[in-house]
Amino acid sequence: MMKIKMRDKLRKWREENFRNSEQIVDVGEELINEHASKLGDDIWIIYEQVMIAALDCSRDDLAWSCLQELKRQFPDSHRVKRLAGMRLEALERYEDANKLYDSILQDDPTNTAARKRKISILRAQGKSSEAIRELNEYLEQFVGDQEAWHELSELYINEHDYAKAAFCLEELMMTNPHNHLYCEQYGEVKYTQGGLENLELARKYFAQALKLNNRNMRALFGLYMSASHVAASPKVSAKVKKDNVKYAAWAASQISRAYQVRRVREENVKCSAHGITKAVYTVAMVHNVNIIHL
Amino acid sequence: MGEVELSCLAYAKMYLHASQFPRCSVNGLLLSSSAAGGAVCITDCVPLLHTHLSLAPITQLALTQVDVWCSQTQQRIVGYYQANACASDSSPTPCALKIAEKIFEQCNNAVLLMIDGEKMFPGCRVPPIVMYERKDARWALKDKHTIMLRQWEETCSIVNQLFSSGDQALLVDFDSHLDDITKDWTNQKLNAKIMELVSPANGNV
Repeated sequence: MMKIKMRDKLRKWREENFRNSEQIVDVGEELINEHASKLGDDIWIIYEQVMIAALDCSRDDLAWSCLQELKRQFPDSHRVKRLAGMRLEALERYEDANKLYDSILQDDPTNTAARKRKISILRAQGKSSEAIRELNEYLEQFVGDQEAWHELSELYINEHDYAKAAFCLEELMMTNPHNHLYCEQYGEVKYTQGGLENLELARKYFAQALKLNNRNMRALFGLYMSASHVAASPKVSAKVKKDNVKYAAWAASQISRAYQVRRVREENVKCSAHGITKAVYTVAMVHNVNIIHL
Repeated sequence: MGEVELSCLAYAKMYLHASQFPRCSVNGLLLSSSAAGGAVCITDCVPLLHTHLSLAPITQLALTQVDVWCSQTQQRIVGYYQANACASDSSPTPCALKIAEKIFEQCNNAVLLMIDGEKMFPGCRVPPIVMYERKDARWALKDKHTIMLRQWEETCSIVNQLFSSGDQALLVDFDSHLDDITKDWTNQKLNAKIMELVSPANGNV
């Protein structure tokens, strides 16, 4: 592969924050071995990118050589120190890694990267409650850190603390109103919490996610399921029932259409579309509502 | 309780699923194409999720879809498997117990299978699995001697062959299907490749 193409690929993966570590190692290793001298100043950021990918693939040999090059060029850098810490983490030498991060923080208490690595160590060690506590403290200081809010929502979801996960997602939706994934995840959390109010909220957020991206299948299925549940609830008025049956029917038809449009012919897909249409008619029949065949 | 037999196909796909997402917890359903009663023969599995295992909507959706597919293909859901993101922790999570409970409601010799990440290295002589069964209203460790993995050596070699040929990338789980609905979560292509590798002399593996 031409070196320019390789360099561009690495840049693209860097900018989009992909974690395709095996590919990065493949391309990066070749680029470094064959063309290091011709890369100019780009080489340093490539060393960093390849090193992290190498750690992900248990390639300590490659990670070590990248680290040596970076240490040589930037002997007092905190950024390089953090990479050394990540290598220790990959080797599960958590105490040594923590010492390194603590020394960075002594020098520079505002170093967010070192703080976040310490929290990652807690997570790797399975110390979820401590990780949650530290992350909350971190966010009190650095309230705009999107990555941290998302990490916290994941931790809460794993701990089944859905109310707090919802709060984190609300923060994310406020600062990223066009992100369909956050809306859809919020819908999933609300659905999981259950109860009529949460199901109606879930439906609204699934609908919002679809408005932002009408190909989000999870949102489409989520809309169908939450609307069906609301329609089936004994606590709702006839009007609400009727509306939700319509929403569910619409979602079902969109799902069928999506599968047909992609011309998927496998058995499992036929059964998806069939299963859903069947379920929609069942919901409608149970509540004596005529649904217009869309 | 009873004996459980795990086929090469089911084992290979579970292993591939866990390997495809080493940083995530993954889960899936265990299926049987044999009639109920007697030993439980796990003949296949469906890989489900690698994100947000404990959120309800997609799990419910997947369970419904697999149920419908099973009734069309004369299979039954007989168990659940999970591999935790943290390789050193192979204990069942509350979410695993919940789903296993649901399966137990329909199948009274259902099994819960946890994949032991620490044993998933090449050359390991022991299957990286821990199985639980329902006993006295809770999930208890199953006696290792009641778990059968026929042709263990061959199964290992088949898994290695899948990795060296790059076919392990063919595996599709339900999550990946939702990201791209042209992908087949029943893994017909991969199933065919694995059955090809299974030596005909073994019959049903």
